[in-house]
Amino acid sequence: MVRAYTQEHVYRHPWDRVTTAAWRKFTDPDTPAVLSHILDVHTLSRRLDSATGRLLTTRSITVRSPTLPFLVRRVLGQDAVVCHCVESSVVDAPRRSMDIVARNASLRGLIEVEERSSYRPHPDRPAEWTVFRQETSIRCKPLSALAAVAEKVEQRCADRFLQNSVKGREVVERICKYLEAESSSAAAAASC
Amino acid sequence: MGISRNRAASSSSSASPCAQLRSAYHDCFNRWYSEKFSKGRCEEDECVAEWDKYKACLVQHLEDKHLRQILLESEASLYSVKADAGSSGDANVTSH
Repeated sequence: MVRAYTQEHVYRHPWDRVTTAAWRKFTDPDTPAVLSHILDVHTLSRRLDSATGRLLTTRSITVRSPTLPFLVRRVLGQDAVVCHCVESSVVDAPRRSMDIVARNASLRGLIEVEERSSYRPHPDRPAEWTVFRQETSIRCKPLSALAAVAEKVEQRCADRFLQNSVKGREVVERICKYLEAESSSAAAAASC
Repeated sequence: MGISRNRAASSSSSASPCAQLRSAYHDCFNRWYSEKFSKGRCEEDECVAEWDKYKACLVQHLEDKHLRQILLESEASLYSVKADAGSSGDANVTSH
């Protein structure tokens, strides 16, 4: 069983601003209130390939799952679990592309979630706008002894993922606005 | 793999000794990314000192086995871009 969701969003901000905001999404001081399921984010590896202008990063994102279905709660003896996701990204500065793949590292015997996202300059207005695309696929293991339960978890996770990517988008929009204001005030200061 | 049993609080604080080093690194990275890298000036990583301190702290304090493994593997593959890109499964990096 695989469920796949595709989303697209156009930010009316240039690529460099949007990707800056994307990096700040989880570390911005105002974010925890909005993305309350995010418990912890760490950068595990980062490498700049200065010859090609590519930046390679691996991060861990620790999330609290939504409240689990009754049966799973009984099996695990708890209401929710803490899961780790591993996110790998490549930013290619000369080509102005950012590609991100996030996968769950916990509960993989039960469910596999993969989220592929990309930020590219908008084809019609490449200097001003940015296209965000995201494809989420959620697969539960067919031979899992907990297949029926897994399906419920799958649905719950899917709901949560969609909700959260909308919230994540709002956070990125807000940080973009902030960066825009900051850059115009910096430009004003520099002209003095 | 590594479900932390009802330890939301303790799990999120498992690496908290590194919180300060992490925010010092993030501040540096965010500035460098927005002012230089994203504008195409990508010759030099200016946050190496901050990164080394933060990473040394993580090596010492990160509890989760799976995450530790990634952290330690990344040290081993420091000189191989291919290994990094390969493990991310980024077949679509060259598309568009």
